[in-house]
Amino acid sequence: MTVKPIAGGRGGAATAALPRSRVSPARGLGGLLEDERSLAYLLLAPTALILTMFIAYPFLRGVWLSVTSATVGDPGDYVGLKNFEKAWNDTIFHRAAVNTFVYTGVTTVFKLAFGMWLALLLNREFRAKRFARAFILLPFIIPTVLSTLAWQWLFDPTFSVINWCLWQLGLITQRINWLGDEYLALVSIMIVNVWRGVPFYAISLLAGLQTINPELQEAAAIDGATPRQRFWKITWPLLLPVTMVVVLFSVIQTFADFQLVYVLTRGGPANATHLFATYAYQIGVGAGLLGQGAAISLALFPVLLVVVIFQLWYIRRTETV
Amino acid sequence: MDAKRINRRQFIKVSGATAAVAATGLEGVLAARRAPAYAQGVTLNMVRWADFVPASDKLLRDEILPKAEKALGATIKLETINANDIQPRITAAIEGGGGPDIIMTQHNWQHLYEKGVVDVTDVAEKIGKAQGGFYKQSRDVAVSGGKFIAVPWSVVGLMIAYRKSWLAEEGAMKFPATWEEYRALGKKLKAKGRPIGQTMGHTFGDAPAFAYPYLWSWGGAEVDTNGKVVLNSKETLESVEFMVGFWKDAHDEGGLAWDDSSNNRAFLSGTICATLNGASIYIESLRKPDQYKTDKGEQLKTDILHATLPKGPKGQFAYHVPFSHMVMKYGKNQKLAKDLLLWLGTRENFDPWFVSQKGFSVGTTTDWEKHAIWKEDPIMLPYRDAARLGRAPGFAGPPNAKAAEVQTKYILTDIYAKAIQGMAPADAVKWAEGELKKIYG
Amino acid sequence: MAMIEGSRWRKVAVFYAPLFAFIFGLLFPFYWMLVTTFRPDGELYRPWNRANYSPFWTMHPTLEHIRYLFSETLFGTWLYNTMFISIVSTLISLFCGLLAGYALARLRFNLAGSLGTSIFVTYLVPPTLLFIPLAEITRTFHLTDTPWALILTYPTFLIPFCTWLLMGYFKTIPKELEECARIDGATRVQAMVRIIFPIAMPGILSAGIFAFTLSWNEFIYALVFLSTTQQKTVPVGVVSELIRGDVFYWGPLMAGALLGSIPVAFVFAFFVEHYVAGLTGSVKG
Repeated sequence: MTVKPIAGGRGGAATAALPRSRVSPARGLGGLLEDERSLAYLLLAPTALILTMFIAYPFLRGVWLSVTSATVGDPGDYVGLKNFEKAWNDTIFHRAAVNTFVYTGVTTVFKLAFGMWLALLLNREFRAKRFARAFILLPFIIPTVLSTLAWQWLFDPTFSVINWCLWQLGLITQRINWLGDEYLALVSIMIVNVWRGVPFYAISLLAGLQTINPELQEAAAIDGATPRQRFWKITWPLLLPVTMVVVLFSVIQTFADFQLVYVLTRGGPANATHLFATYAYQIGVGAGLLGQGAAISLALFPVLLVVVIFQLWYIRRTETV
Repeated sequence: MDAKRINRRQFIKVSGATAAVAATGLEGVLAARRAPAYAQGVTLNMVRWADFVPASDKLLRDEILPKAEKALGATIKLETINANDIQPRITAAIEGGGGPDIIMTQHNWQHLYEKGVVDVTDVAEKIGKAQGGFYKQSRDVAVSGGKFIAVPWSVVGLMIAYRKSWLAEEGAMKFPATWEEYRALGKKLKAKGRPIGQTMGHTFGDAPAFAYPYLWSWGGAEVDTNGKVVLNSKETLESVEFMVGFWKDAHDEGGLAWDDSSNNRAFLSGTICATLNGASIYIESLRKPDQYKTDKGEQLKTDILHATLPKGPKGQFAYHVPFSHMVMKYGKNQKLAKDLLLWLGTRENFDPWFVSQKGFSVGTTTDWEKHAIWKEDPIMLPYRDAARLGRAPGFAGPPNAKAAEVQTKYILTDIYAKAIQGMAPADAVKWAEGELKKIYG
Repeated sequence: MAMIEGSRWRKVAVFYAPLFAFIFGLLFPFYWMLVTTFRPDGELYRPWNRANYSPFWTMHPTLEHIRYLFSETLFGTWLYNTMFISIVSTLISLFCGLLAGYALARLRFNLAGSLGTSIFVTYLVPPTLLFIPLAEITRTFHLTDTPWALILTYPTFLIPFCTWLLMGYFKTIPKELEECARIDGATRVQAMVRIIFPIAMPGILSAGIFAFTLSWNEFIYALVFLSTTQQKTVPVGVVSELIRGDVFYWGPLMAGALLGSIPVAFVFAFFVEHYVAGLTGSVKG
């Protein structure tokens, strides 16, 4: 309620900036469509409808589950923050937390770097670029479950092609136990995640690159800017809005990654590769403890929320500048 | 020509019908007519795993269930999915208040879903009594508080498949009887690049099927009969210490990364000498005899034998994967669903399915040990009474939801995995004890 | 396009070498799948350090696995289902995302910030357990075991994604273009549909491509909401029928993986053309 006058003020500013946007309501539907505010709500209506219909309830239900002792088939009782407390003291949860942060952080850096690089390469003229651009997407197109099965074979201690190549090149004398080693197992799932994610970054950034006016680049080149300078002074800042959104989405998806680990290691060996999602699934679905499972998967929701709100605010700020 | 053909077709049809009547006799007709009125126009949905033996699914779908449809007067729809994906289906169905009428379970899952299922004691008791009584393991996983919460269906036996000729080369004409002997033999074999294969990863079947009976055979257990956590014992510690050396001496170290299918592949490719598994390795080698060869170029199937897990200081145990069917409480046709399970469980209806499994699955009752199928293939013979040694997860306590949670968190597997990866055995045991106490409270 | 400077050697070092490294790295697993598709099981089961291990070639190629895939499973039907579900849910999501993205990026209204954030926040809801309450909803709406169960639930994660991605692209389009059109007498809606949407085409296509792919390989909802074999999608169908206990049918599995992704890549190759067309339009405009 207290927001209203401020909002009104902002609306006024908009009117001042674009005098045509306020039209007399007498013009009916046309007027409605010319009014910024009503048009905006109209345009947002389908989205709002679908999201409230299908997300609002499940989300509230999930939050409610996390504060109950619910198990499958039993709604349970309200237990306050007990589930969160239990997770807090759980050694496997700690491991999953560390894994998730490392996994998300490391893969995001690699995906962004490789994705940007690849986008810049693909933005050039070369033969068959159309097919290169489309086929580069294959790792992202193929159903994760199936590509992960293929990776399972590539990492398999008995059959690993990777080991064979390294061995033929004389780099190793003994096999590398990709998925069996405590640390290499995490590295392995990160490799698969990067493999899957690079095309997504590359193609979204490529689309962004294409909206950048090439004249800017040419003008800078004439002024004697090096390619590096041109990248950091022109391409990067102009691409920043798209980059931020892409990174944000990718971070959230990686943070909640499930299928990859579920197929490759199920969190093994000895919980070395558990992530929040796989552990929550194991507790919620595997052991039927819905309350605890929900608590585990929601444990970091507040943290994520703060990060996202901050980042969204930052994106909007950089855009208006 | 045409008319003649039609005539012939009609003739076949008619004669087929008469033959059917003749075969089932008056009783059959009566039975068909007696099909309960409540079943008319009703559809029963059933979810099972995609069977390792595809022929069994086909048989069920094309022959057994159509017969059941006639007997019960209802339509039956069977859906088969990957075993790992059954749990999310059950969870969503119970929570959503609707879904398949009958769902197959593995292990002791039904204890997790106790509140969502119907008491099926009458059906189970009838089947058990008529067929010589259930195995302890089959009964234990299906009973809660004196009531059957699922109808036992079958048991997939897990035994060690081993290479006859490789063991013989080391002078072992019989499979080692104790862990000590097995380790000594494995050491010699590993030195030749023929290690034992065993998964220590997070897998549904093979990892717990090894870790549990291994622990029990040393005298360790997660809880005692009163449900008190007793894991941190001298016996458990011994078992962990032995395992660390056993692993280094005799096992393929890739095993930490393996899932349930990896040891099949390793065995079929001739890199390991022995592995604990269902009969699927042997059956696969029978299916494609020319694809899998020994190093001498012979068919691999001629070089495979099966054995039970060796004895430990405190006895010999096994863990076989029990399969059961739950009748879901949200279902609108519970009576009919129970009728179907009873129908499927009776000897003459279960028999063709049992035969189609060729020993991969055994029955849940002792009578099936007497079946003629065991005379067919001596290699499969060890599976016949394998289920006798089986215990349920949670042993010596009940296989309840807590035991299922322990299993789901792979705690008993991970004691060994952690120790193998370098954690001090005492610390690994202590860690596992801590986790168990949090679960059992 | 940017000229490639310097000597030929330099061009190889900074352009071709990295490009081929990327292509090799990204496509290598597909090559392996291709070989596996045609490889008889006996040749597949060969350990890596055995002399006759041949990862890149197969001696006795066979069509058996592809035959199995088409004759023993309903692969064709699954492919059709997946296609239908993905296209419809992508269209719904693009429609919603386009309108919402435009509103949030271009129109000034008091709730813009908070609505944008809330749309995004729905994306944060952990999906792993979401399928449980969602199953309840699809049951209430009588959608279970119909393609609509997926067509209507996929947009829940596709719309936030499309909206925000498109917002990003809309923001890169100079405001002046739209203002010019409006000075020339176009209405807001006209300016949006005729000026902004065509310019944002590369962005719309990439959002569409990603939305399509995300629905194409979704697994858990498809697993839980569909039950009849004829209704299943490729990932669920293939996994349900070709993983039997502890034996994977590698050949058919990999054949399914390839046949379920390469046609899509060809379709995308066609779209990529338009990508570039959209670009030239924007520059000239």
